[in-house]
Amino acid sequence: MSPEVLQAPLVLEYPFTRSTGPVIGAFLTGLRDGVICGIRRADGTVLCPPQEYDPLTAEPLTELVEVGQAGEVLTWAWNGDPRPMQPFDRPFAWALIRLDGADTSMLHAVFAPSAAEMATGMRVRAVWRTEREGHIADIAGFEPVPPGGEE
Amino acid sequence: MAAERTAVIGVGQTKYAAARRDVSMAGLLREAAYRALEMAGKTWSDIDAVIIGKAPDFFEGVMMPEVYLAEALGAVGKPIMRVHTAGSVGGSTGCVAASMVQSRIHRCVLTIGWEKQSESNAMWALSLPQPFATSVNAGAGGYFSPIIRRYMMMTGAPELIGCMVAHKDRRQALLNPYAHLHQHDLTFEQVVDSPMLWDPIRYSETCPSSDGACAMVLVDEAGGDQHPGPVAWVHGTAMRSESNSYGGRNMVSPAASEQCADDVFAQAGIVDRRAEIDAVEMYVPFSWYEPMWLESLGFAAVGEGWRMVESGATELDGGDLPVNCSGGVLSSNPIGASGMIRFAEAALQVMGAAGEHQVDGARRAVGHAYGGGAQYFAMWIVGSDKL
Repeated sequence: MSPEVLQAPLVLEYPFTRSTGPVIGAFLTGLRDGVICGIRRADGTVLCPPQEYDPLTAEPLTELVEVGQAGEVLTWAWNGDPRPMQPFDRPFAWALIRLDGADTSMLHAVFAPSAAEMATGMRVRAVWRTEREGHIADIAGFEPVPPGGEE
Repeated sequence: MAAERTAVIGVGQTKYAAARRDVSMAGLLREAAYRALEMAGKTWSDIDAVIIGKAPDFFEGVMMPEVYLAEALGAVGKPIMRVHTAGSVGGSTGCVAASMVQSRIHRCVLTIGWEKQSESNAMWALSLPQPFATSVNAGAGGYFSPIIRRYMMMTGAPELIGCMVAHKDRRQALLNPYAHLHQHDLTFEQVVDSPMLWDPIRYSETCPSSDGACAMVLVDEAGGDQHPGPVAWVHGTAMRSESNSYGGRNMVSPAASEQCADDVFAQAGIVDRRAEIDAVEMYVPFSWYEPMWLESLGFAAVGEGWRMVESGATELDGGDLPVNCSGGVLSSNPIGASGMIRFAEAALQVMGAAGEHQVDGARRAVGHAYGGGAQYFAMWIVGSDKL
């Protein structure tokens, strides 16, 4: 008979933190408050999500602007089999969404009933979580705006 | 074909601090990079390539940060390359940046090293259990303390030499506005009485944990000639490495350290190291590494390093070989930047731009870094004049 061997698992954990700075910090704070921010470049175009430094010229960007909560789907991919950590427990679409007032798009989830309801160029609007903490997931996702459904 | 003569024309540093929560990682790097560009009189568009260095990704938990930093460092559409040699990385990054100009691949290079230690815990990051390998489990201090004891046994160094180094560096840090620790009233007795962390290393003999970045702009000979401000000419660069697990190695003075020093001094044409060098910025995260490196780098014979410390030879005030006039790693340790700070401070000395911690009339200075288990070494020698 082999001797009994003592075993004791030890899991070490240590935290990481992240300082977000004035631009990403403002974007995240805005999300907590139900506001979506972009940032204006020298040529007048607006990046959303905002970036601290111009992606082409490397100049610092400082002019935060509020963008719309609805926008246009530029492209999308249907996710028919969501995994546990994904934004929705039923099939949904990943989409690049250009919000009104922004010139760039951001990736988020669109809660459409089926792929047949998705189309490039369709209008979508943000669905907010009620408990928000300053995180991109404060926007639960986007929902299709029915024709004539915008104020 | 001889290498292209290479000059440092800009140095930028952030004020080193325990936590820079007001800036993102990109924002921290920008601060140093912008200051270096400003001193160099350059703009982003003048930069041909960006060479960056930092310590292991685990230190902040950002995998391959060079990818996300390309925009903030003006590297879009240009080469960006990351160097990684543990704690020596800031020095190695400076060597690689210099080689980009020396080889005539690029004419104007921005190089930068950084660490945002507040965003994680380097000691635990160093102690991660790894499959099929021994965990350090005690951070760097626990690893280096027995090596220091070995040095003390070999040389008969008195117990308080380390405290003398620590007190010197902390006092010299008061002359450097960028230093993290400014302990105005620190007495030698307080250093001696500070808690023993890893025998023989006391609390006041160990480096702080800092956030910070350091950047340099390097140019070719024409760029150096045209620069209206002070210039530091690169007289030599060297890097060496060795395994830290080979049982036969000399851990007090690793062969790679001695070879690195021999190489760089030969490149610079220096015979009498102590006499011909005016200032040294060496990597001393634990006080005792000053006498140990003085010997390993050939500034002192074996067993004489601690005597140089004891005699005050390495003090900015009156010493013939001032060491770590900036306050050194013992006063500021943003790990990935710490080696580059040594290189940059050496450059500032020969530029005559070191401010209150300037060594009068410094013409030739050494920058030095080591990393890992004292297994990676990077050095450069810079001068006021062309070699």
